[in-house]
Amino acid sequence: MSADLSTTSEAMKSSHIVCSVRNLTVTYQTDAGDFPALHNVNLDIQQNQITAVIGESGSGKSTLALAMLNGIALPGRVTGGTISLSQHGDVLALRGKALRRLRGPVVGTVFQASQNAMNPLRRIGKQILDLGRSHGYKDPRILLREAQLLAKKMSMDPDRVLTAYPHQLSGGMRQRLGIIMALVLHPEILLLDEPTTALDLLTQSAVLQIIQSIHRERQLTTLLITHDMGVVAEVADTVVVLYAGRVMEEGRTAAVLRHPGHPYTRALIKAIPRLTGSLDQARPLEGSPPDLTMIPRQGCVFRQRCRYRMALCDNESPSLKQLEDGHLTACHWEGQSDD
Amino acid sequence: MAMANSPLPNQPSVSWRPPSFSTIAWKALTRKPGRMVGLGILLFYILMAIFGPMLYPANLPVNPANIYAPPSWAHPLGTDFEGTDVLALILTGSRYVLYSAGLAAFFTVSIGALLGLVSGYFRGWPETVVMRIADFFLTVPGFPLLVVLSTVWDFGNPVSMGLVLGLTGWAPLARAVRSQTLSLRERGFVEAARGLGLSRAEIIWSEIFPNTAPYVAMHFLLAITGSIYLEVGLFFLGVVPFSTNNWGVMLNLAFSQAGAMYSTRALPYLLSPLFCIMSLTFGIVLFLGAVDEMLNPRLRRV
Amino acid sequence: MIEIRNLNKTFPATKGMLSHGEVHAVRGVSFRLDDAGAISVIGESGCGKTTIGRILAGLEPHTGGDLIFDGVNLNKLPVAVRQPYFRKVQLIHQDPYTALNPAHTIVRTLTSPLMLQAKKHGRDASWIEKRAQELMGLVGLDPRGTFYKYPHQLSGGQRQRIVIARALTVEPSVLVADEAVSMIDVSMRLDILNLLRDLRSRLGIAIVFITHDVASARYIAADGALCVLYQGEIVEYGRTDDLIVHPVHPYTQAMLSAMPVLRGLEEPGPDRYIPPEGMDEDAAAEPSCSFSPRCRWATEQCRTRHPPLISWHGMESTETHYHACFYPEPRRVVATPVQ
Repeated sequence: MSADLSTTSEAMKSSHIVCSVRNLTVTYQTDAGDFPALHNVNLDIQQNQITAVIGESGSGKSTLALAMLNGIALPGRVTGGTISLSQHGDVLALRGKALRRLRGPVVGTVFQASQNAMNPLRRIGKQILDLGRSHGYKDPRILLREAQLLAKKMSMDPDRVLTAYPHQLSGGMRQRLGIIMALVLHPEILLLDEPTTALDLLTQSAVLQIIQSIHRERQLTTLLITHDMGVVAEVADTVVVLYAGRVMEEGRTAAVLRHPGHPYTRALIKAIPRLTGSLDQARPLEGSPPDLTMIPRQGCVFRQRCRYRMALCDNESPSLKQLEDGHLTACHWEGQSDD
Repeated sequence: MAMANSPLPNQPSVSWRPPSFSTIAWKALTRKPGRMVGLGILLFYILMAIFGPMLYPANLPVNPANIYAPPSWAHPLGTDFEGTDVLALILTGSRYVLYSAGLAAFFTVSIGALLGLVSGYFRGWPETVVMRIADFFLTVPGFPLLVVLSTVWDFGNPVSMGLVLGLTGWAPLARAVRSQTLSLRERGFVEAARGLGLSRAEIIWSEIFPNTAPYVAMHFLLAITGSIYLEVGLFFLGVVPFSTNNWGVMLNLAFSQAGAMYSTRALPYLLSPLFCIMSLTFGIVLFLGAVDEMLNPRLRRV
Repeated sequence: MIEIRNLNKTFPATKGMLSHGEVHAVRGVSFRLDDAGAISVIGESGCGKTTIGRILAGLEPHTGGDLIFDGVNLNKLPVAVRQPYFRKVQLIHQDPYTALNPAHTIVRTLTSPLMLQAKKHGRDASWIEKRAQELMGLVGLDPRGTFYKYPHQLSGGQRQRIVIARALTVEPSVLVADEAVSMIDVSMRLDILNLLRDLRSRLGIAIVFITHDVASARYIAADGALCVLYQGEIVEYGRTDDLIVHPVHPYTQAMLSAMPVLRGLEEPGPDRYIPPEGMDEDAAAEPSCSFSPRCRWATEQCRTRHPPLISWHGMESTETHYHACFYPEPRRVVATPVQ
């Protein structure tokens, strides 16, 4: 009876997982050897949640975004692992038509600088029609009507923005149109790759508000990739901290922010200057962002920048351990943190 | 502040002195075997142009008894309609071809790069003037212009040949360098140089020019092949008086005197200069990639 | 000391239907920066903050108002004689990727301006090399590791340090940092901010910090002034902490509201409000408050009259504090830490 119960709850739990990444390893081949950009990454994306992946440059977060679309190209290669979507199987095995269906109708993507993802010579509305045509819509104008509704919801004048060329719009507008273009195909998963990096804070928070309200309204599953802890704190339900291609910590955002388990996460939070309190609270991260070619092959990848480094860290790479329910961290240090 | 002072423990030690240019050049050359082949071909022809004419008397001997001889030990490439050794003609004719092509490329590149840089950097009237002149040279068909010029200009001298080819050929490069300069002058580093008080000449020469150098150097090599085609073409057409022996003259004579199109006996005479021109072009094309890598730090592999 | 009085900058508008008109990038901006002082200029993109920085560095001529450097009104000097004054103000560009010549090694980047200095002061070549090493140390870089590298071999943070070192070659008295950290990894930003603060305290270099991020504005100019710019005009000006704690202009409040709240660690301010992005930049007809189309408290008066910049005498605020709003009202928009 009890066994039954546990399996049901297990099944229920897993039914909420829309996408699960298992032991994903992506290697880049260079003249100087092969370097893993992602190493045994495990990740579950829960339905109707905003999951954020945070990392510095060189953390492998963009590689992860590409892998989600099965878009790793040479010199990169997926050397192990799977990315399974609940209804579509292993993304990494998709080819041809199924792969085209993945990109857009299944996983809608908003890129870092949407202006670069748009055709500068075509009006936005036309580009949306193109989108419909290339994904086999009989009447692509449905998409245009959808886009008009979304534009209005994002407090933009639909007639103006859909007839405009990308260069005629501000960065914030382009980013919102980028989101619209991802949403008109009704994707199951919304993948946001650094959606606010090039924007002002004021525009950023407007865009984040839109992301949040659309996410709720459409009951989306959202994966947000960013390097900014502030963005994570604003919108994400869960956060995964990536460093040098490995998961350092994951958990509910508020829990991770309040009780960061990994020294790296702590340092990331500490490094943000705040509006109130003493200026000395902010402390810079030591060392420099990970360089793919210099990541140690053995032991903890963060140890060179870590203030809690022990002998153990040099030899043994820490595995993810549960701190509390759903809050995992990969660190050998078990004492109190002094910060 | 302290962070960057302490290099990470297992960072490889970095060299205090940078690799010298010769090291960089050698690496760029040896990274692909084709580049070495290209360099070999280039050196071969350069040596031929320098020493070839020294091996023979100023007037090559004629032998009416032995015209159109097939290749043999005495005449590896056969003889021509006068019985002159074709190999000797190739070797002595190479100097004019290479010397004038080199000069032509030199003039093309120096005029084109300088005018492109100046007009792109200063904008305003210098740009307008230079670009209108460039447009003139771009619209006037170059080859017929040269044919017309040949009536008043002495092409027998390689220097004057090179000068004319340079003066008529700089326009495409000037346009390309100008458009690169237009984009470069808006970059932060040019603005910073202005803010730091560097003179305009310094900004153009040491800030902007190095960024166009790989392109200019490649253009130089391609201008050599272009000039060879043009001058050989002029001689082949026979619009330029044959004051010296060179590959273009050979082609013309093989065609008109020896009737190489109709008979096989003059085939070695026709094919020898053709082969030289083609293999030289081939060598230059092979060598191009190495030049780009030598001058463009972003392409270098450390 | 540098002072700007009633600074104006208009650009001829060349695009669109306004081909005969002008764009007012900067309108009547005045402020003063003491020796070794600090002022942060905040605003959205397009508010004219970059233009002010470029005018101060002599990279752009102003079209109205006075520039007074060390008591000398530059308007009264012939253009050719102004250069030495402008040289004392060095601009740090936003983008460290284009600010360094990709064809030059770091040492060459530093030596070409140093050569000018050497010529001016009659120094020899050994001084140049020594000085270059000194400057590298000053910005926290190890000359051994970076001297002979090319910009593309360095990280964003390292490049920005080189840019700062290059600016220091002419021994400036003012550094204008235009969004100097916005293109650098969040984790590395604090390092650059610390470097600027350090240069200010050690070398007495005054800082004009131009940004859209209020927190870094505060970090640099905590003991200085904050100047909030909207569409080329100052809408609020005052001591930094004063303005952050008691912002009275709705736009300042919006900028402060836009700061991401670290949920779990912070509680959002009770009056936090993010206005919608401006639909059309030239929508506000003159004369009016230029922020009125986006302001939730705007009245008829705001839409028909232009509010002057006047001083604010309310609450605890005793220091200089100016605002340009008909209905100034301190609101609590800044997040507070939770215990």
